[in-house]
Amino acid sequence: MKPGLRIGALGIVFLTLFGVLVLQLWRIQVIEAAVNEEQAQRNQVKLVETPAPRGEIRDRNGELLAGTQPALAAIVDGALVPEEGTPQLDQLVQRLSAFAGIAPGEVRHAVVDAISQGERITIVGDLEADAALRVVEYEEEFPGVSVVPIPVRSYPLGELASDILGYIGDPNAEDIKKEEIGPTDTVGRAGLERQYDDDLRGVEGRILYRLDAQRNVITVGAEQAPAPGANLELNVDVGIQTVLEESLAQGLELARQTHGDPECNPADDPACPVRAVGVVLDPDDGAVLAMASVPTYDPNIFVDGVSNDEWARLSEQAVFNNFAIQGVYAPASTFKAIAYVTALEEQIFPQEITEPSADGGYFCEGRLEFAFTDGSQQVFNDWTPDGHGLVDLSGALETSCDLYFWEIALSVWTDRLRDDGRGTYAEDLLQQWSRRFGFDEVTGVDLPFETDGLMPDRDWFERTQRESPGLVRDGPWTGGDVMNAVIGQGSVLATPLQLANAYAAIVNGGTVWQPRVVSRVVDQDGTVLRENLPTALREVELSPQTVAQFRRDLALVVNSPSGTARSAFEDFGNNVELVGGKTGTAEVIKGETAAEDVDTALFVGVAPIDDPEYVVAVVIERGGSGGRVAAPTARRILQYLLNGPGALTEIIAGEEAD
Amino acid sequence: MAVATRDRDPVGLLQRERPARPDLILVLAFVALSMVGILMVYTASAPRLTAEGLDATLTMRRHAIFVVAGFVCFAGASLIEARSLRMMAPLLYLGALVGLVLVLTPVGAVRQGANRWIALGPLQLQPSEFAKVAVIIALGALLATVADSELRWHHILRAGVVMLIPSLLIFMQPDLGTMLVIAFIAGIMLFVSGTTWRQLVFLLLTGIVGTLALLQVNALKAYQITRLVAFLDPSEDLAESALYNQTQSEIAIGSGGFFGKGLFQGTQTNLNFVPEQTTDFIFTAVGEQLGFVGATLVLALYAIVVWRLLTAAVGARDRFSQLVAVGVAAFMMFHVFVNVGMTLRLMPVTGLPLPFLSNGGSAFLAMSIALGLGHSVWIHRSPVPGERQVL
Repeated sequence: MKPGLRIGALGIVFLTLFGVLVLQLWRIQVIEAAVNEEQAQRNQVKLVETPAPRGEIRDRNGELLAGTQPALAAIVDGALVPEEGTPQLDQLVQRLSAFAGIAPGEVRHAVVDAISQGERITIVGDLEADAALRVVEYEEEFPGVSVVPIPVRSYPLGELASDILGYIGDPNAEDIKKEEIGPTDTVGRAGLERQYDDDLRGVEGRILYRLDAQRNVITVGAEQAPAPGANLELNVDVGIQTVLEESLAQGLELARQTHGDPECNPADDPACPVRAVGVVLDPDDGAVLAMASVPTYDPNIFVDGVSNDEWARLSEQAVFNNFAIQGVYAPASTFKAIAYVTALEEQIFPQEITEPSADGGYFCEGRLEFAFTDGSQQVFNDWTPDGHGLVDLSGALETSCDLYFWEIALSVWTDRLRDDGRGTYAEDLLQQWSRRFGFDEVTGVDLPFETDGLMPDRDWFERTQRESPGLVRDGPWTGGDVMNAVIGQGSVLATPLQLANAYAAIVNGGTVWQPRVVSRVVDQDGTVLRENLPTALREVELSPQTVAQFRRDLALVVNSPSGTARSAFEDFGNNVELVGGKTGTAEVIKGETAAEDVDTALFVGVAPIDDPEYVVAVVIERGGSGGRVAAPTARRILQYLLNGPGALTEIIAGEEAD
Repeated sequence: MAVATRDRDPVGLLQRERPARPDLILVLAFVALSMVGILMVYTASAPRLTAEGLDATLTMRRHAIFVVAGFVCFAGASLIEARSLRMMAPLLYLGALVGLVLVLTPVGAVRQGANRWIALGPLQLQPSEFAKVAVIIALGALLATVADSELRWHHILRAGVVMLIPSLLIFMQPDLGTMLVIAFIAGIMLFVSGTTWRQLVFLLLTGIVGTLALLQVNALKAYQITRLVAFLDPSEDLAESALYNQTQSEIAIGSGGFFGKGLFQGTQTNLNFVPEQTTDFIFTAVGEQLGFVGATLVLALYAIVVWRLLTAAVGARDRFSQLVAVGVAAFMMFHVFVNVGMTLRLMPVTGLPLPFLSNGGSAFLAMSIALGLGHSVWIHRSPVPGERQVL
């Protein structure tokens, strides 16, 4: 072969080599371009998120209820730790495990989480200064770990107002579906923390690192500082809240003493008083001034995560529920206010009486005997077998005469509208009036998990018979059912907040407010983001006379010698004449023997009665008599409201009264 | 019948020299590659220099000085006549060997775990780069005596010796890539000298067996084995670190896409993901910033260079010049294929610079000289095609 040919052959070989290079270039740059482009992006830029401090919660006077405190934390930066599967990562996990005293498996889990989420995850939450220094000094031994101040939720007043504030915790599966919540974030799980979570949460900060091949930070590309959440300003007054909680605790203690065993445990003693619940409302605008459910918990325990044992111990007493809006109770005699207003507005008076204040009045015996339409003879017993003598509507409220209110129910029932057109009143006239004042529906207070209670009527009765047989008795809806309902028994159920709100509506002249815990949502600069203005759910038309007479009669309950709350308010001090209220004792039929049937004690107070500023509802579960236990508890709160902190006196049992 | 007469320069028997005119295509390709090289070195070094607070043009300026020096060397080498070069062959060969020995003495400077450099004042020379040129010249001188199609086994043996001495010295540095270049050049020059099929097969087998044998020899420095074994078997654990360069390089080139990201827009380049990017991995800067279009154009420039060298070889006035031109072509070809192939994960990591693009003074100068010698073959080609001159 001639040299020229050989060189030609060489040229072909060389050309082929160039061809191979171009083909490979085509494969990498054109066919696999997208993959490589993405890889390059991931290579160079890492994003981590930094937690935002939650917004503060302050009472109406600016006192801090929930805030954030900076704590030193060792955090793992998902962008900077060695990659998964490298020996460097194993080493880091070992060192962190030794440093933090956490099992290597858990540490690894957290670190891998941080990597996959691209977040900063706290390994040790509350670092001592010397431990923090150690991490900083031996920086190279802990790649990707740094010591930073992180915002930690704190509730400086401990248990105070915890039922309102709620608590925070890990997000559940539902929360994580939201775009702005990651699995390592914290969310509000109850109370305001939950209701206003979107406002309080703030916006996580982002740090964009540009990294080189060794995961060294070349530049911090963009750093967006976390935006703290908005602050909440409450209608709640810490002073009132404190007295409410103290009084409820003392009331519960009193109830337990009355029960005979102050150390009793509700878990194994079915008659032991369980809890005391209270609400203080401003009847002029629906502001929630205080709300509590005792016993309660310290929300600080949730900040670092609550242990299973502690959780079990506390949930046994259901302390995490806010019974002021989640607890439903038979309102008993406090519910007579509805029949009272109905009677005045609809001019329904027991047959014997033509005028509500006529001298003759109605003779309130200890028992009411009457025949039902089917001819059967019925006997209803008043709460006291002696009766109350001659009473009119006012006297009936003052003494809590059951018979008078039964007669109102009977009057409605007997003269109810029939299918054939005879009769005057709607059969569910009383239910209609109760619903106007907010029973049987949620009040719409800005707290989560509110329940709506129950106002039984024929529809409900028949539907329940159909849908859940066994829950109610057989047979038709009768006048007896209405008679039970009119005194707040039978199946009537209401939350303490509903009860307080209904009283607020009656004494303010008919405006049913939507209760409001938060007054304003304010950002960090003090700019008002949202204002919770007073919102009327409805206006109930009430004659001024009705309102005035109701207020006067409530005052008689407290001040008249025959009033059911008279003894409880004996040592009220000044201004007792400005206090009105209504007692209630709900018969709860739960146990198999009579000894296990422990009544619920209730009291709703209003003050000052000539121009009401406060409505106080107190419910003591298994507390017994309302006049004996609930009224004295409410008294102490009203003492504070009218006469200030210096006027408080010890809670002592009142007379046993309905 | 009319006879068409063609205008021709009168070529007398005594006038066998044509005016020395440069091969413009080759020169333009060379200059274009050098300019691309300066630009790429600049884009690949500027972000890092800026980050360190240094002058962004520092590396580029140093490189540019060598480019200018390279142009001078190229021009000078282009004028060297084959006759005088052939006479200097033994001297150049010996000089190269002395340089290679000096590297291993305390005079040599150790850099990145290998001592390939000799410090000459502010300059650091890499004798192995020049040794390649010397070997081309020496082999050309040796094989020029072989008549057409009469390559004997003793020629191969002697060529082997000429090749092996510097190879062993280079092996001790260690510099596997350069050894392979020399072996490749020798093989190609032997082929053009007229190997029989048997000899060709023997050469190919020797090359394969030799490379494999080197892998088995414990004397091979660990990092060479790591690089090669990692390439041959990526599943090995050590692949992770050894293949890192290539993975990043492939990502860089691939992310350039068809048209590239544009100058200074390459994230892989800017963030220093590709190590040794101004030197061995300079092609990643081309691929990422200029894309498939730019990378192919650069390869086309190399193809032009190789084509011009082979053309020069075909038209060479004498056997020695022809072998030198072929040797230079093989030299360029091997560097381009192995270097670009390495960045594309076709070849293992060897540390061979990309001609005229990689930052590195010795390599640029040595290659400029080599290219100039090839160019000289074109300039001094015979005016009568096919005529051979026996020196």
